[in-house]
Amino acid sequence: MAVLVRTRYLVYRRDLLMELVLRDIKIRYKRSVLGLLWSFLNPLSQLLVLGFVFGVVLPLNIANYPLFLFSGVLAWNWLSSSLVSAATSVTDNRQLIRQPGFPASMLPAVAVATNLVHFLLALPVLLIFGILGTGGFTVAIAALPVVIGLQFLFTLGIAYLVAAFHVTFRDTQYLLGLVLMLGFYLTPIFYDSAAVPAQYYGIYRLNPMLYLVNAYRAILIRGELPDGFDLLVLTLLSSVLLWVGHSVFVRRASKRFVEEL
Amino acid sequence: MAKVITVRGLGKEYRRYHSNRPITLQEAVVRAGVRRMASVEKFWAVRGVSFEAHQGQMIGMIGRNGAGKSTLLRLIGGVGSPDEGSVNVTGRIGALLDLGIGFHPDLTGRENVFVAGVIAGLTRREVAQRLEAIVDFAELEEAIDSPLRTYSSGMTLRLAFSVAVHTDPDVLLIDEVLAVGDVSFQQKCLQKIANFKSQGGTVLLVSHDIELVRRLCNEVLWLDAGKVVAQGSPEVVVGQYVAEMAQETIRRTPRSAHVLHTPAGLELRVNENRFGSQEIEIVAVRLLDDRRLPVETLDSGEALRVEIDYLAREAVPTPHFGVTITRDDGLVCYDSTGRGGVGLASKWGQIALVIERLDLNEGRYFVDVGVYSHDWAWAYDYHWHAYPLLIQADGTGKGVLYTRHHWETEGAAYVLDAEARAEMASRPEHS
Repeated sequence: MAVLVRTRYLVYRRDLLMELVLRDIKIRYKRSVLGLLWSFLNPLSQLLVLGFVFGVVLPLNIANYPLFLFSGVLAWNWLSSSLVSAATSVTDNRQLIRQPGFPASMLPAVAVATNLVHFLLALPVLLIFGILGTGGFTVAIAALPVVIGLQFLFTLGIAYLVAAFHVTFRDTQYLLGLVLMLGFYLTPIFYDSAAVPAQYYGIYRLNPMLYLVNAYRAILIRGELPDGFDLLVLTLLSSVLLWVGHSVFVRRASKRFVEEL
Repeated sequence: MAKVITVRGLGKEYRRYHSNRPITLQEAVVRAGVRRMASVEKFWAVRGVSFEAHQGQMIGMIGRNGAGKSTLLRLIGGVGSPDEGSVNVTGRIGALLDLGIGFHPDLTGRENVFVAGVIAGLTRREVAQRLEAIVDFAELEEAIDSPLRTYSSGMTLRLAFSVAVHTDPDVLLIDEVLAVGDVSFQQKCLQKIANFKSQGGTVLLVSHDIELVRRLCNEVLWLDAGKVVAQGSPEVVVGQYVAEMAQETIRRTPRSAHVLHTPAGLELRVNENRFGSQEIEIVAVRLLDDRRLPVETLDSGEALRVEIDYLAREAVPTPHFGVTITRDDGLVCYDSTGRGGVGLASKWGQIALVIERLDLNEGRYFVDVGVYSHDWAWAYDYHWHAYPLLIQADGTGKGVLYTRHHWETEGAAYVLDAEARAEMASRPEHS
């Protein structure tokens, strides 16, 4: 009986996540002419501009630059748009929070998962870039889901913190915008992290996104497995972050959300 | 019957914050300081509530707006954690608290059913199994694949309600949503809830429709300012509540088919200026002077006769009549009920209250007339502010009373002329 209840609960959580993600995506595309194209249009336009600036105007001379750029842009966009929508996920869904039995911790997860869908929709384009740029993939491509999964956990951990914080301080989203803008430059998205001078690297490498972006590139560009140690550290970090974020969120959710909303 | 809900000494404290409590980090840091983050005062939204509910029972919660009913319902639903006491619920909770949660105008009715159903606690498969029943119940077969924005508000509500009642929970929390839609749909919803109850479901109902509460519930909690004022059988608690709330706006369907008009042409409307359970109806009230002619204006000190025609629809134990005279600012100037009322002589007839001298100051008054249960616990019929009376008096003061009076003085009486008055006024008051 207990197992049955538990199984039903898990199925329910999955379905809830699915429906809410589906809803967000449907709403986004329902009355738009371009529909799903929007998922690519955004990263593609960034790709064009950045490619023009750092491929033509100030050439950085990175091999396979379109592929290099696109992998960085996609990974970064997933993180940043997830966090932006996670920030307001609780405050925008007052009614859901006040619904008995509704797991509030679902909301940041929905934000991250919705943007995962956009990421996955644009992924084929990235893979085509990869095939065109490198002539094919190695078995290392099998590690891609692992890296994606890791980024999901990492993003979700921060998403919980951001969402919980935004309930009390409504300018969290602006602060977040600032941090994300700076993060864009401090993560090797349009340049190679190898170009960072050694004396700064000690601090520079504290940015977890560095390892994620490098892992994507190892797989897609060099056809290698990502650095195992990096991934291990990233796994540990993401787990701790997720645990802390989730506990903070849940504690605040049960006590204060209902009052503060 | 198995016990489903146990609530023990439940309390929830809310904080009232500084009106300019910083809501942004910037304000917190720059302007206000963390000091103002703290709450100014705390108050108990709910406190000391205990009750139990078994399978197949329906518990009603009544009380004014802000009495804590909704907070209590949400606490039982697990929204927010209690600061005191405990809540124990066995089984799945379904809620009809806010209708249409998760609905989006651009999605079709069908898509919205899935979203709302999952939010309400069903799995996708469970929604799919119920889809037909939901659409059928909402009577929306034709429109189910059109976007929700093309629906009328009534259609949207029907769909929302239909999803909510098809979630098959063990415990159903209902907050004031039964008032939606047209009457026939309401009946359908009530039928659905009755079925749910008879199949062993437990219902907690918050409603202003006290007639509904009295009819459907097994037990009623009357809350005021977060505390239980009375708790027990619906007849007793609702009766007390009605009496207490007679002057509050109580939403209830008019049961009387008659539309009454006062002599002045004012229409008596249930729950606006007419309250009561209507077992005895006051069918006419006349304000008359000492010559038994209808009056709207009296000189202070004249006699007033209040004639009441009544009709007892049901045999009730010795009811009482009562008349109060209230000034237009709400001050009760006279209350006949204080000295006991007068009983009923027959099933229908006339009764009159004769006030020999109405020594009220000039102003606008209302004569309020009621007939009450034998213990004055509630009103059968009560006409509130329906019979205006203008009192005239020559020479006004501030008081309520304007009785016949005269002055008596001893010693010489001075009449001050203008000059002497000015001199007195210029003198320091305390020398």
